Amino acid sequence: MAEKEYEPKIIGFFCNWCTYAGADLAGVSRLQYPPNIRVIRVMCSGTVSPHHVLRAFQKGADGVLIGGCHIGDCHYLKGNYMTIKRMTFLQDLLKFTGFEDGRLHLEWISAAEGPKFAQVVREFTEKIKKLGPSRLKLAPKAA
Amino acid sequence: MDRLREKVRNLLKDGKVAGYLGYIMKDGHPLPHLFTPARPEEVGQAIVAPGDARYPLDKLLQQLAKGYPDATFAVQVRGCDERGLNELYKWGQLDPEKVVLVGVACPQDQADYCECPGPWPSVIDSGNKCKPVLRSQRVDRIDALAGEAAFQEWMSAFNKCVKCYGCRDICPMCFCKECALEHPDLMSTGKVPPDSIFQLVRALHMAGRCIDCGLCEENCPADIPLRVLYKKGNALVKEMFDYDTGSLTTGLSPWKFLGDESTMETKPM
Repeated sequence: MAEKEYEPKIIGFFCNWCTYAGADLAGVSRLQYPPNIRVIRVMCSGTVSPHHVLRAFQKGADGVLIGGCHIGDCHYLKGNYMTIKRMTFLQDLLKFTGFEDGRLHLEWISAAEGPKFAQVVREFTEKIKKLGPSRLKLAPKAA
Repeated sequence: MDRLREKVRNLLKDGKVAGYLGYIMKDGHPLPHLFTPARPEEVGQAIVAPGDARYPLDKLLQQLAKGYPDATFAVQVRGCDERGLNELYKWGQLDPEKVVLVGVACPQDQADYCECPGPWPSVIDSGNKCKPVLRSQRVDRIDALAGEAAFQEWMSAFNKCVKCYGCRDICPMCFCKECALEHPDLMSTGKVPPDSIFQLVRALHMAGRCIDCGLCEENCPADIPLRVLYKKGNALVKEMFDYDTGSLTTGLSPWKFLGDESTMETKPM
């Protein structure tokens, strides 16, 4: 029997106004995407603190996907300016410490981009599947 | 040293300052001390702290300023201490009008040990300028390690952590009343070593705020190379936002305001 494929756990932080609505659109359009993603709806991607992302990795997430409105479309005008600053910084810091490289992804998906949503989730899940379980999860616990 | 004592004496005599926060030699130990006009004879014992005896004077100054909000204090600063004061002004923790600098330039061996890019303050009352170290070899070494190797290195360091919070408690830039490191929803409680993300959460807070005084690393009982982590954080902030931590000329911290139109692009998957 073929070995079972690794099923990663992915946490998605999606903004209420754009990406979450985009996910809705993907749903009502009956677009298929992998069920590995667990979605947490937030009012704005700017409310996602890097702490939450780190906490997700600590708790065993293999990937974290953050979705927000395109720059200029933020419901709160400038919320996503903060998102991109924080997340780009966090991506580089995680890379430096060798914790996770490429397991944190930020994508702007609008409410009208249902197909893009399905596409992004599909590609991200594929990528994480290839990477396998996260280092943090595999790391031996100190006694 | 005489130059410094003379300046302090004059400051206290003129009544410009309510006190001078510096170091005193007491029973063979260099200790932080508040020199006041009431006891001018003590100024003769004022010293420049040797490199291996440093205290977070910026932090003590914050407490003093809280207790005596109307008073002006003079404080002994190195390059790093001044950067810290600048950053504290920006974050609204101290009033620049109420601080007088008594500057000390670090000797070359201290600058080399710290890999300090700016080992002297804007006012120098003791010592001479030395050669700054512009590139940290310790950071470069970790940068050269890729993924797994870097991870192993950091994990072996983080696993030594005894969660004493010493790095936070001594840090002159840690002024928050509530700390993410103690938030039960963000950090597991009651276990040692703490979550592997413990030091990373601190590194997040230190980015664009750490003034590279190195007290955290000197204070750490487990010898975790914290400084390398924070140096890298600052380097990233410089690279991304062109922000010089502790400089008065590059505006407010990039984390403090929302800013104008963002020109950054998301990274490809």
